[in-house]
Amino acid sequence: MTVSTTTLSTRTAARAVDVTKTYGDGDAAVFALDNVSVSMQAGQFTAIMGPSGSGKSTLLHVLAGLDRPTSGEIFLGDTEITSLNDKRLTLLRRDQIGFIFQAFNLLPTLTAAENIVLPIRIAGRKPDAVWVQQIVETVGLTERLSHKPSQLSGGQQQRVAAARALASRPQIVFADEPTGALDSRSGAELLGFLRNAVRELDQTVVMVTHDASAAAYADRVLFLADGQIVDEMTDPTADAVLDYMKHLGA
Amino acid sequence: MFTATVRGMLAHRLRLALTTASIALGVAFLAGTLILTDTMKLAFDQLFGKVSSGTDAVVRQESAYDASSGVGLSHAPIQASVLSTVKAVDGVAAASGSVSGYALLTDTDGKAVLTSGGAPTMGYSMPADKALRGDVNLRTGHAPRTSHEVAIDATSAEKHHITLGSQINILFRGPTEKFTVVGTVGYGSEKDLGGTSSAYFNTTTAQRVLGTPGTFDEIDVRAADGVSAATLAKRLDQVAPKGAEAVTGAQVAQESSDAIHEEFKFLNILFGVFAGIALFVGSFIIWNTFTMIVTQRSREIALLRAVGATRRQVKRSLLIEAALLGIGSSVVGLGLGVAVARGLNALMAALGFSLPSTSMQINARTIVVSLLVGTIVTVVAAYVPARRATKVLPVEALREATPGARPAGKVRAAFGALLTAASVAAILQGLYGGGGGNLVLLGIAGTLFGVITLAPLAARPLAAAIGAPMRLRGVPGDLARQNAMRNPRRTASTAAALMIGLTLVVSMGVFASSLKASFGTILGDSTKADLYLATSSVQAAGFSPEAATAVAEVPGVSTVSATGYGMARFAGEGGSYSSVDPATVEQALKLDLKSGTAKNLGDSGVLVSTKAAKAHGWHVGDAVPVEFAATGKQDLRVVGVFANKGYLGSDYAISLAAQQANEGDSLVSSALISLDKGADAGAVEDAITAALASHPDAKVLDQKGYEHEIGGVVDQLLAFVTVMLLLAVVIALLGIVNTLALSVFERTRELGLLRAVGMTRAQVRSMVRWESVIISLIGAATGAGLGIGLGMALSQSLKGDGITAVSVPTLQVVLYVVLAAVAGVVAALGPARGASKVDVLKAVVTD
Repeated sequence: MTVSTTTLSTRTAARAVDVTKTYGDGDAAVFALDNVSVSMQAGQFTAIMGPSGSGKSTLLHVLAGLDRPTSGEIFLGDTEITSLNDKRLTLLRRDQIGFIFQAFNLLPTLTAAENIVLPIRIAGRKPDAVWVQQIVETVGLTERLSHKPSQLSGGQQQRVAAARALASRPQIVFADEPTGALDSRSGAELLGFLRNAVRELDQTVVMVTHDASAAAYADRVLFLADGQIVDEMTDPTADAVLDYMKHLGA
Repeated sequence: MFTATVRGMLAHRLRLALTTASIALGVAFLAGTLILTDTMKLAFDQLFGKVSSGTDAVVRQESAYDASSGVGLSHAPIQASVLSTVKAVDGVAAASGSVSGYALLTDTDGKAVLTSGGAPTMGYSMPADKALRGDVNLRTGHAPRTSHEVAIDATSAEKHHITLGSQINILFRGPTEKFTVVGTVGYGSEKDLGGTSSAYFNTTTAQRVLGTPGTFDEIDVRAADGVSAATLAKRLDQVAPKGAEAVTGAQVAQESSDAIHEEFKFLNILFGVFAGIALFVGSFIIWNTFTMIVTQRSREIALLRAVGATRRQVKRSLLIEAALLGIGSSVVGLGLGVAVARGLNALMAALGFSLPSTSMQINARTIVVSLLVGTIVTVVAAYVPARRATKVLPVEALREATPGARPAGKVRAAFGALLTAASVAAILQGLYGGGGGNLVLLGIAGTLFGVITLAPLAARPLAAAIGAPMRLRGVPGDLARQNAMRNPRRTASTAAALMIGLTLVVSMGVFASSLKASFGTILGDSTKADLYLATSSVQAAGFSPEAATAVAEVPGVSTVSATGYGMARFAGEGGSYSSVDPATVEQALKLDLKSGTAKNLGDSGVLVSTKAAKAHGWHVGDAVPVEFAATGKQDLRVVGVFANKGYLGSDYAISLAAQQANEGDSLVSSALISLDKGADAGAVEDAITAALASHPDAKVLDQKGYEHEIGGVVDQLLAFVTVMLLLAVVIALLGIVNTLALSVFERTRELGLLRAVGMTRAQVRSMVRWESVIISLIGAATGAGLGIGLGMALSQSLKGDGITAVSVPTLQVVLYVVLAAVAGVVAALGPARGASKVDVLKAVVTD
C-alpha cells in the first residue's frame, strides 16, 4: 500500500518520487526501499517509524542527500537532488539541511558555541546572532556554551546538535534516532525542543525513531515495513503508535 | 595471538609501508656503508696485491712509526749501493731499485692533466725485470728506455688525447722536462691506479727527476724458484745495513692498502653517522606509530584483556609486531643497501674519490649488523607504547571513549628543562669558561635531547602560534590548528623528527658560512700578501716549488714566500706543522711574533704558537722533541713564538728546507706574493699568469679570488653533507605522512560529520593540508632556531682553530623553512585525499 498525502494547500519541504534503494545485484539484491513516494510538509514534525530493517533510516538518508537512491527522484523544496554532484550536494546539505545523529554529533575540539555555528562558518558566513541566541535559550544551553563536548552530558550534547541543526535556518532538519542514546528524561527534553522548534519557530523536522513515545511528539507518523510506506497517522499518541507497531509485528 | 598480529599488520598496508620505509631507509644507509667499506677494502687490497704481485720482498729504510699511528707513513731513501749487496744474496732472482715521486703530466697543449678529487699525480721507476712489474703492464708501446722516454697510464692518455710518440712536458719538484710518450700502462684490466695519474721512467731517469741520484725509495726483490717470500725477506734482513729492513712484498701491499683505507676511513665514519641519524629519526616514527596503534586499539586490547589475556600477553603481541616489522624493514633495508652503496660510490666518484671497481661485497657481518640494528631500534622504539598498552583496563572495552591525549607529565617538564638548561650552560662554559670543545659538543647533543624532551609541552603553544594566521583561511584552517593542538605528544614527536634533520642541516649551514667568512678574515688579518699562488685544482695537495721560483722572477714581484705543511709528532703528540721560508715569511705573514725571529729557523729551528709555548713552557732557545716518520727523533730549537696562527693554521712552523730534509718529496701548498711598491697589480698579475703557463700546477689569485676558491670547496662539502642529512629529512616527512594517515583514520567519524554538515571535499583536503603545514613548520622553525644556535656555538668553539667569524646564512635558513612548509603540503597529499573520500554514511551512522 502506497500512501500519497500531498495536500496542495501546504508547502512541501521534501519529497520522494518512486524511490528505490537496493543493495547487492541480481538475485541477491535486497530492497531497502521499494518504490517509495512520500512528501514532508513544511512546518510539520514528521516521524518515520518501522521495525528494524524496514528501511526507515535509508529513507531518511536518501531524503537528506547523505545517500543516493538506486532509482527515483528526491526533491528538496523545488530542487531535484539525486542529479547533483558531490560538491553541490554538500553545499545543499550545508545551507538547506540540519542534521541530528544518534551520536558523534559534535567535533571534540570545538566548544558548544563553535559547534552550533560550524556549518555557517564552513560556509564562510556570519551567524545570525539574534536567531542563534534564541535557539540557545530555547534549548537551555546558555550556561554551557564555552564547554567542550567532553564536558557535556549526553542530553546536553544532543541539544547542542539540535541547536546546530537549526542555527542556519535550514529548510528541513533530519534527525536519525536522536534520543537513541539518551535516558528518557533527556530524550523528552530534546523531543519537546524539536516540537517547539516546529510549532513556535516554524521549522520542519523529520525524525526516524523506533520509540513510540518519541513518535508521539510528531504531528504525523509514517510507518514503514519491508521498504514500503504501509500507513500513516496524524496527531499520534504513544499508545496508538504502540498498538499499530504491534500490529505491524515489530 | 601471533596470527592475529600478522593479520592486523597486513590489514593496514599504508601504515605498514610507511613504517617499513622509515626504518628500512636507515638500515639501507647502514648496510650501504658497510658494503662500501668492505668493497673498498677488497678493491684496494686486490689492486695493491696485484700491482706488487711480482715483488716477493722489499728492502727499505725503517720507519720511525707505522701507518696506524695516523701520522702518515714514509721511509727515508736507501743508498743505491745496497742494491749490489741485495743481488748477491742467495735466492734473489732479480732486484731493482724503485723510486716514486711527484710528476704532473701535461697534455700536448701544455695543460696540466689534473686528476679528479685531488688524487695524487705520481711518477715511478719501471723495473727492467718484467716480473717485478707485477700487474703493471704495457697496454701499448714499450717501456721507457732512454732518459727522455716515458710511459703513462692509459686513462690519462685516453682522456687527454696523448698519443704514442707525442712530446709532453712533465712537472716535477725540480725543473720541468720534456719527454716522448713511448707506452701506455694498465693495471690488470684497470686503466689507472685508483684515479691517480702515473708516469713511468727508467730507473736512472726516475732517480734524477723524482728522487735523488744515488738513492732509491726501496729495493724490490724477486725470489728464485723454490725460495719463499718469507725466507727471502729473512735472508735479506740479515744483510740489510743498519737502519734498513727487509719485508715481504705482500706486507708492503697490505701497508699501502691500509694507508689508503685509513684515508677513506673518515668517509666511512661519516656515512655511519648519517646512518645513525637516519635510524634515530626513524625510531620517532616507530614510536609514534605504535603509540597511535595502541590508542586506536584500546577497545580491542581491552576486549582481549576482558576475555582473559594477561598484560604480559598484550605487551608481547605488540613487541612481536614491532620485531616482525623490524626484521621485515631490515631485510628491505639490506636489499636497498646494495643500491645505496652504489649510490654512495657514484657520489664519491662525482666528488672525485674514484675507487677501483670490484663486485659489491656483502659480508655476513653486514647482514647480521643490519638486521640486528634495524630490529633492535624498532623494538626499543615500540617498547614504551607497548608498555602503555598493558595499562588499558578490561572495562574500557565497554566504554565509548574517543582517543584523547594525556597531558605531558611534570617529570618530563622538569627533566627536559633541567637537561636543556644544563646543556646550554655546558656550551657557555665550554665557549667562555675555558671548558674546551668537547664540553661544547656534549652541550650541543644535550640541548638537542633536552628540546626533544620538552617538545610535547611546547607543541600546543607552537601549533597555536604557527596556526594563528591559518584561522584567516576559515574553518579548515581553524580546525587544522585545533587538530595540530589536540594531541601535543603526537604533533611533537612527528615534528621532532623533522626538527632533528633541520637542526643538523642548518647548523652545518651556519658552520660552513662561518668557515667561509672566517677565511676572508684570516686572509685580511694574517697576511700582507698582494696576490696568492694556489694549486690549480683546489683539491690537489700542492704544487712544485718551481712555480714559486718562476713567479719570483717576474718583474714587479718583490717576494714570493712559499708555505707547505706536513705531519709529525711534536712533544709526543701527532699533529700537523707548517713549513715556511725563513727569509720572507715575516714580510708575507702577520705572524705577530711575541719573541724571536723566523730568520733563525735554519734546518733545526721551530716557531711555536703562543698556545703551544704556554702549554709546554717553551721559550726561545728551548728544545722541542720532534719525531718524523722517515728520519726519526730529533730536537728542534724554538726560535720564535707567534701569536697569529690564522693563515698557517698549525701550532708549529719549520723551514721548507727542514721539511725537505725530513720528509723528502714535499710540495708547496701555497705561496704569498708581495709586489714592489707602486707596481701595477693588474699588469703584474697578467705577467705572473704568463709565467705560470709552463707551470700549470699553480695559479695566481687575488684575495677575493682565493676566498671564492676556498668558499667553493666549503660549499661542495656542505652540499655533500646536506645531501646526506636530507635522508633524515625525507624519513621525517614519511613520518608526517604516516601520522596524518593514522589521524585521518582515527578521525573518520569527525570527518564524516564535517562532510555531512556541509564541508566540501576541497575544504577537507585543505584542512588536512594545513595541519601538515603546521606540523612541518613546528619542526622546521624549532630546527632552524636550534640549528642556528648550535651552529653558532660550534663555530665559536673552534675560534682557536681559525674560525674567527660567525655568520648565519639567513636566506638559506628561510629557504629551508619555506621548503619544509612546501614539503608539508606534499606529505599531506595522500592523507588529504583519503580524508576527503571518507564515506559520510559509514562515519555518522551508529552501528
